[in-house]
Amino acid sequence: MGFGDYPLEYNPKVHGPYDPARFYGKADTPLAQVKLSELGAWLARRNKSPQAMVAAVSRAYWRWQHKYVLPKRAGIAPFLQATVGTMIIFYTLNYNRITQHRNYKYH
Amino acid sequence: MLSRAALLSGQNSRALVAFSRATGTTPASNAAAAATDSPSSLYQRPVRLIEPGKVRHGFIPEEWFQAFYAKTGVTGPYTFAVTLTTYLVSKEIYVLEHEYYSGLSLFLMWYVGIKKLGPKLAAYLDKEIDQYEKDWNSGRVSQKEGLEAQIADEEKAQWSIEGQNILIQAKRENVALQLEANYRERLMNAYQAVKSRLDYQVEKTNAERRITQKNLVEYVVARVKASITPDQEKQNINQCISDLALLAKA
Repeated sequence: MGFGDYPLEYNPKVHGPYDPARFYGKADTPLAQVKLSELGAWLARRNKSPQAMVAAVSRAYWRWQHKYVLPKRAGIAPFLQATVGTMIIFYTLNYNRITQHRNYKYH
Repeated sequence: MLSRAALLSGQNSRALVAFSRATGTTPASNAAAAATDSPSSLYQRPVRLIEPGKVRHGFIPEEWFQAFYAKTGVTGPYTFAVTLTTYLVSKEIYVLEHEYYSGLSLFLMWYVGIKKLGPKLAAYLDKEIDQYEKDWNSGRVSQKEGLEAQIADEEKAQWSIEGQNILIQAKRENVALQLEANYRERLMNAYQAVKSRLDYQVEKTNAERRITQKNLVEYVVARVKASITPDQEKQNINQCISDLALLAKA
């Protein structure tokens, strides 16, 4: 599977048109339904290869696109979400410099 | 030819299987494919949303609030947000440096801008997107209208063809009437012709008989006159004179 290829599990005859927001592998228990005692086993089952991580981010991005950007009556929400996300990213990047502006010596 | 014997012997079974073989787009084959690999509900064709996901305060997903409700009630998420903010600010994990106040003024401008211009812009864009979609659909819609008009025309043509049938029926009846009239006229002509010939024959016979009678009478009279001798004539005159005298006496 090289760049620009479909996931190996994707089969057009079974799955129909390709949806970039969908995970085509075998579905595991959703994270929200995992009990704390099973969390370790759940994490151990994750595919932690860089490719899988990029694929997960890509799916999340497309899920967000489908939900907020691409609907017919999409509003300003995706723009504000992108703005807030960018603010958080750059705040984190600049955090070491920003902490220099602390006003109080003791907390 | 599907005879019962052939069906029983199974000679046509292959043809029947081929006949009932489904194509790639039939519901049966899709259902079969879904049944062999996975439940079909997982792999339905993706549908574009009309309304986007619900958000609060412009950008926070509604689901995040819903996640709090089961545990904390309605005020839970706000309490959490205020508490977390208080903690971050009081410990100066979130530093209120100059960019924070710049951000406050920017937030104010954004807020007023969105509240003032947002509804108008949304209405305008909704109108535009509707127009855009309508433009893309117009070809299909107009083609559909054209085809429906053609169907209506075709049905009307069929209806008028039925009228033509009635018309042809009427014309046939008309022709039949004409033929009948013609036939009767010829029948009458034949009758008249025969009658005139018969009348002629009758008249001819009458005339012949009349002429024959006349000739016979003339002949008989001529012969009778010819047969009268002067002697007889004298006797006759004498007899007449005597008769006159007898009459004068009386």
